[in-house]
Amino acid sequence: MKKEDTVKLISAEGFEFVVDKEAAMVSQTIHNMLTSPGSFSERQHGEVTFPEISTTILEKICQYFYWHLQFASGKETEFPIEPELTLELMMAANYLHT
Amino acid sequence: MGGVCSRKQEGDTDDRPQEGISRKYSKKSGSLKWLTSSLSSPMINFHLQNGECPSLLDLCVRKISQDIDRYSSMSMLPRDMSQLIFNELVRCHRLTSASLEVFRDCALQDLYLGEYSAVNDSWMDVISSQGSSLLSVDVSGSDVTDYGLTYLKDCKNLQALNLNHCDQISDYGLKDISGLTNLTSLSFRRNNAISAQGMSNFSGLVNLVKLDLERCPGVHGGLVHLQGLTKLESLNLKWCNCITDADMKPLSELANLTSLELSCSKVTDFGITFLEGLQKLSMLNLEGCLVTSACLGFLAELPALSILNLNRCNLSGNGCEKLSYLRNLKALNLGSTGITDACLAHVKGLTKLESLILDSCKIGDHGLANLAGLQQLKCLELSDTEVGSNGLRHLSGLSSLEKLNLSFTEVSDIGLRKLRGLSSLKSLNLDARHVTDAGLAALTNLTGLTDLDLFGARITDSGTSHLRSFKNLRSLEICSGGLTDAGMKNIKELSSLMFLNLSQNGNLTNKSLELISGLTGLISLNVSNSRITSAGLHHLKTLKNLRSLTLESCKVTANDIKKLQSTDLPNLVSFRPE
Repeated sequence: MKKEDTVKLISAEGFEFVVDKEAAMVSQTIHNMLTSPGSFSERQHGEVTFPEISTTILEKICQYFYWHLQFASGKETEFPIEPELTLELMMAANYLHT
Repeated sequence: MGGVCSRKQEGDTDDRPQEGISRKYSKKSGSLKWLTSSLSSPMINFHLQNGECPSLLDLCVRKISQDIDRYSSMSMLPRDMSQLIFNELVRCHRLTSASLEVFRDCALQDLYLGEYSAVNDSWMDVISSQGSSLLSVDVSGSDVTDYGLTYLKDCKNLQALNLNHCDQISDYGLKDISGLTNLTSLSFRRNNAISAQGMSNFSGLVNLVKLDLERCPGVHGGLVHLQGLTKLESLNLKWCNCITDADMKPLSELANLTSLELSCSKVTDFGITFLEGLQKLSMLNLEGCLVTSACLGFLAELPALSILNLNRCNLSGNGCEKLSYLRNLKALNLGSTGITDACLAHVKGLTKLESLILDSCKIGDHGLANLAGLQQLKCLELSDTEVGSNGLRHLSGLSSLEKLNLSFTEVSDIGLRKLRGLSSLKSLNLDARHVTDAGLAALTNLTGLTDLDLFGARITDSGTSHLRSFKNLRSLEICSGGLTDAGMKNIKELSSLMFLNLSQNGNLTNKSLELISGLTGLISLNVSNSRITSAGLHHLKTLKNLRSLTLESCKVTANDIKKLQSTDLPNLVSFRPE
């Protein structure tokens, strides 16, 4: 995996998730951060920090990114969501336009 | 985010609060119209079509709705999030008085509970707890009483209130509404108890733009209280058969009125004279009123009039000359009147017309020559007239025509060729007994068709092969009995179908259900009077969008359908047998 094809998503606790750019771009918010001319550091370093998203939630979101790609390629499975995460996940999904 | 000022909602249309229950009950059974109307409402987020990936937000909203009993409050969520969850619960009919409690003090803006018959006064406490955030409430068809309305007194920012079919609300309850001066839209359809006295409470609602009192039989004499409501733009008094000419006088002050519905009232030509000052009136519905051709002269004085409904009025063949004065008309309904071929000469010059309804008039092929120049015409209804194949040549140049109704006419296969050039056509009704497979074959270049009604046309399996040309079909009816399972091979290719009526085809078996099981966009399906049995129902499991299923006179019981509904068809809200 070439570095420029990946992006590093960093949770509130500082935990780093390295994911394919294609997957991360499922989020409209991340897409904008990585492509809009105004956002320098994210675009330059391929790193986005989410001080308000916990590690557990960010991990779930990364799982969703890959599930979304699979779905788009025709593999329609169920995406499991643990009930105890749902509210927090919902708010993060809203923030990330995902 | 600052409450009222920043109000911005998706799909927030003026029409929304008027939809819902009334449509559902007012339509003849088997009609698809109420289903289509609910499509546009903002709270019905339609289930995703196959292949479209649900967003994580959608998935979370659905998950929370499924597990709603796990939660005690949503008040920690931002308003727009809790609103999404609320809407989803309503959509899938999961909201109960217990789960409603979760939304106490959530600052919700819109509570559309118009399809919830379980709603009663005990719900009003949580509803009113939204306080100054609350902008619109629809509890139509509920058991809310006058007492329940007292809760709304403090929801001062309320802009829209729908209390249609709330038969426990009377004049007494209107007192509590009188202080809601931010109301712009108020609806009380089908209320027997409201009288002129109660309407005095409306006189302070100075911001009212839209008032709907459809089917309120006791409001005679009450319109005087509307005199000061100068912002009023839309007034619906349809089916208020108590309304007389005397009630028209107070309306003459309402200079901003753009839309007035008086269908089936007792208004006569004299009453119409009071409307002459309404310079902005663009829509006037006089369907079934006692007016005659004599009112056309007064109507000609209304400069903005563009939509006029005179259906079932006492218009006769004589005295219709003044129709020609109504040059700004875009839509004219002359259905079921005494209009004749000769009268159509006065319609000839109404070149702005986009919609013309001549249903059940004594007109024939000869009269249609007058319509040939109406180039703006998008909708033309000639159903139940004497029009035959010869007349259709006058229509062949109407290139804007999108909707054409030729049901119950004498039109036959040979005439249909004249329609080949109508490339804008989207909706075509050929429910006529002389139309057969050969007629359909002549129309295969009308590839833009989305709605095709062949209810009584004599279509057989071999005719269905022509349907393959109509890839965009959303609605299809073929009910003359000529179809067998073999015909389904063609119908199953119509992947855009949402409404399908194949009733009265007595030879269709469960095999047909199997063949159409891939039509996952279907919202409504009718295969009544066929050989379908309960053993075939499992083929419908894939039709997740299905909202209406009709299998009358089949070997299927209500329980069979209910079982399917609970396991596989969550969106099914209407089914027969029931």
